[in-house]
Amino acid sequence: MILHAFRTKAHCAVVLAAAIFGSASMASAHHSFTMFDMSKKVTLTGTVTSFEWTNPHSYIEIDAPDEKGVMKHWSIELGSPSILMQSGWKFSTLKTGEKLTIIINPLKSGQNGGFLSQANLPDGRVLYNGPRQEPPPGPAQK
Amino acid sequence: MRAIIFSFSCAVLLGVLPGGAQAQAPTHPPDFTGIWGIYRGAPGADPKFRAPAPTPLVLKPEYDKPYQARRAEEAAAAKRGEQLATPGAECIPYGVPTMMSVAIYPVEFIQTPKQITIIAEAFSEVRRVYLDRPQEKIEDVAPGYYGRSVGHWEGDTLVVDTIGIKPTVTLRGIPHSPQMRITERIHLLAPDFLHDQITINDPVMLEKPYTYTVAYKRMPSDYEMVEFVCDNNREYIDANGIVRLKLHNK
Repeated sequence: MILHAFRTKAHCAVVLAAAIFGSASMASAHHSFTMFDMSKKVTLTGTVTSFEWTNPHSYIEIDAPDEKGVMKHWSIELGSPSILMQSGWKFSTLKTGEKLTIIINPLKSGQNGGFLSQANLPDGRVLYNGPRQEPPPGPAQK
Repeated sequence: MRAIIFSFSCAVLLGVLPGGAQAQAPTHPPDFTGIWGIYRGAPGADPKFRAPAPTPLVLKPEYDKPYQARRAEEAAAAKRGEQLATPGAECIPYGVPTMMSVAIYPVEFIQTPKQITIIAEAFSEVRRVYLDRPQEKIEDVAPGYYGRSVGHWEGDTLVVDTIGIKPTVTLRGIPHSPQMRITERIHLLAPDFLHDQITINDPVMLEKPYTYTVAYKRMPSDYEMVEFVCDNNREYIDANGIVRLKLHNK
């Protein structure tokens, strides 16, 4: 039995890695992947207005043009600091005013938000949204 | 004392004690102090340290019906791309037993002869297990998130009894009565592998006890627990009980 995300806890548990391995796992798995279109990827290049190293989720606030080229403000959700630190993120990784390219899974609602898939940092490193040096898995198939 | 030395030598001879950097001489009672990460075992890893499968969850029919109905609603909402409200969405603590296995967040055991304090990194939840005093009657314990826990040693296994969990604090939405008692059997399989076998006993709502196990592996010795204060929760529950995300306006 793969534990399905019934509980909504507002932190990005890349527990989906757990869901994949853990048929016997009782870890409270969650994530509100339901809010995001995990089948779609949007690339944004813009300027960081703030990097919130917070719980239950961290956020990248960024001004970037949308697919039509209209400048928009986006709120991008990341995992919690504890999870992110495992793949190389630090509280100081992003600074206000930095230019950044990110790939996100957008909100299904069409609002300017999404779940981070990948961040291409100004210094050339690529970081992902989870404890590992790879993109987090999508929702587990039941 | 001789028995302990004998057991220790046997353990070494049998190769039970690995010679790894983290190997510790077994003590009696064992010392669970340390930081423990959730262990699932990568494919190919030794299966004996993984958690065994849980027993079936069997609620009595009159309680199972609403439970299944709720699960069906959650599944239907997920199909619509929506998530139904849970206490967690508003950063209400998980409580016992959920705090023992939240995602991949570690738990810290701080053990003294009279008390074990367990701190979950997720939401900084804290519970205390008293080793030097008896359990109270259920009706004398104010219902709460963590209940009242007392423990005693059976050989090298710590047996913990917890009562007094309030009705809104559930394991994955499984309903329970005030009569629920949670029994945990906590033991080391090896110096760096710990199992917490958790049994939910509820003669009112369960046909039979429900048992699952959380498997842990000791974190690297230099790991420091990360602070977790839920002060940037962007999720809220709308008027229809759906979880929504607040975006910053700019």
